[in-house]
Amino acid sequence: MNRIAQGLTLVLLGAAALTATVPTDLYLNWVKAGFGPFLIAAGAVTVLLGVLVVVAELRGESQDTAPEHRTSAPEHHTSARDHDRAVAAEYGDGGHGHDHSGAPGVAWLLLLPVAAVFVLTPPALGSYTVESTGGSAGPPPEETVSGGFEDALAEAGPGETAQMAVQEFVMRAWTDEDRQMAGREIELTGFAVPDEEGSWYLVRLQMACCAADAVVNRVEVVDDGPVPEADTWWTVRGTWDEPEGELTDVSEHRFLAQEREEVADPPDPYE
Amino acid sequence: MSERLSDETTPGSALGDSIAQGWSDRDELPPADWGRSTSSRRTGTVWLFALLITAMAAGHAWLTDELTDQAFLAWATVFTAIAFQALPFLVFGVALSAALTAFVPASAYRRFIPQNAARAVPVAGVSGALLPGCECASVPIAGSLIKREVAPAAALTFLLAAPSINPVVMIATAVAFAGQPEMVLARFAAGLSASVVIGWIWVRFGRADWLRLPTRTHTPGASRGRIFRESMLHDIMHAGGYLVVGALAAATLNVMVPRSWLLTVADAPVVSVLVLAVLAILLSICSEADAFVAVSLTDFSPTAKLAFMVIGPIVDLKLIAMQAGVFGWRFVARFAPLCLAVGLVCTFLIGGLLL
Repeated sequence: MNRIAQGLTLVLLGAAALTATVPTDLYLNWVKAGFGPFLIAAGAVTVLLGVLVVVAELRGESQDTAPEHRTSAPEHHTSARDHDRAVAAEYGDGGHGHDHSGAPGVAWLLLLPVAAVFVLTPPALGSYTVESTGGSAGPPPEETVSGGFEDALAEAGPGETAQMAVQEFVMRAWTDEDRQMAGREIELTGFAVPDEEGSWYLVRLQMACCAADAVVNRVEVVDDGPVPEADTWWTVRGTWDEPEGELTDVSEHRFLAQEREEVADPPDPYE
Repeated sequence: MSERLSDETTPGSALGDSIAQGWSDRDELPPADWGRSTSSRRTGTVWLFALLITAMAAGHAWLTDELTDQAFLAWATVFTAIAFQALPFLVFGVALSAALTAFVPASAYRRFIPQNAARAVPVAGVSGALLPGCECASVPIAGSLIKREVAPAAALTFLLAAPSINPVVMIATAVAFAGQPEMVLARFAAGLSASVVIGWIWVRFGRADWLRLPTRTHTPGASRGRIFRESMLHDIMHAGGYLVVGALAAATLNVMVPRSWLLTVADAPVVSVLVLAVLAILLSICSEADAFVAVSLTDFSPTAKLAFMVIGPIVDLKLIAMQAGVFGWRFVARFAPLCLAVGLVCTFLIGGLLL
């Protein structure tokens, strides 16, 4: 990989990062919203570095470097391989000019994320991921229970509709021993995932950092209407189907929906 | 001219050379008519990229309608996600390490590291915690430290500690494992103790002739800004390429491997730790990004995730290749198994204590 190729690769990589963040919100399909500013900064630095490398190369800087290397220490440069090894080993030194004209072939792979953004523009994870991972396997970890709940239900006044995240609903349903959700009117928003038995789930994916660590939170919705299509977005209003017996013994929590409304303009797909 | 001729007759030997493929036939050492050849090669490169951009635009127009395979799109999403969440860490890690390369002379490191090898090892381990840079940068730094008469064991400890416990890695781990500070602490403790123990073992049993020392070169004259730019370019090209390899493998594992299979393995206490250790070796993810992959392996125990983050920075395919290039195979054949063994022992001990 020559230096022009390296510089152009960096420009494209930075452009991909900037394209996904500045004119569009594509990055929300892949990483948490908090990464936005960092991606913009990283993209800008990458483009800048790429441009500097290309400009330096066009000015013929690397032509100066190579002979300079050899004239200054010719006895050590009996072969290009020794030279490379020496340069690679010397790398990290503060007081010399090194000439890394080449980059390993593996660096070409940096064009793959670029192609992914510009060609595929991968969508947010959806019903496929929910089906292939088998949904939430059981109650969420219990660490958050002790401190009480600080969610939309706690904030909503008595008698008000609580607009809860699916994640909050699931957490409450499995771990709130006081069962404060019982009888309250709740509103949930998510995408639909029908199953083979004719019921359907309202699902949101929760991520810590990026789509690679997405965790499925889902609620089975019980209502009179037809089963919606996979990956369509819905807001449902209704109540929690309070189970009898232990909360943690329930395999799937259910939501009794009085009304539902299709969401035309889906929000950030993850929560 | 004579040097140029000898280039062509030198046989390739080390793997380090073969991964740095294309180094020897690059523009730097062109034939006699090199001005012309270089410029035509440049023009060729520019055309290649123009073609690539056109192909991407055409591909976008054509593929968005054609490509609806859900499994492939999920794979593409996960791959893009891993690549882009790691990008800020890669760029800033590389920038910081380039700044140190350009503005802190190597003699400064030597001044802080004692002459006595056994005492130098812990100092080197702790100084690894101060200097950001991923494993790609630390291999050559260790080589140059050895040349500057720092004890080899101390330089090797630095080589292991710097990518394991440096501030960028620690911050990345804290971000990935938000709300689990014990994981950050465990990673620090296990990474540092593994590096220091390996250093001490090398002081006691290591032999100088296992290390093929790099030849010394010295070239004055380049400006600091240029050193900064060049080392940043070098790091981003090397580390970035391997990062994409890691993202590809991780996305494939994430989407293709059935959860039930991983779950079966994940339940076995010792086996799960070994499985993630092997995964860390195979994936060769940059240590500045591996915490994000570790946290995504949600089915595994904390100790297994710790193993992934302790083993990854000290032994992986990419590191083995780089170490073979700088120090030779006689060294790697002894050093890599040692790192794996000590790393696992430290993981089990610290994991048992803290997690």
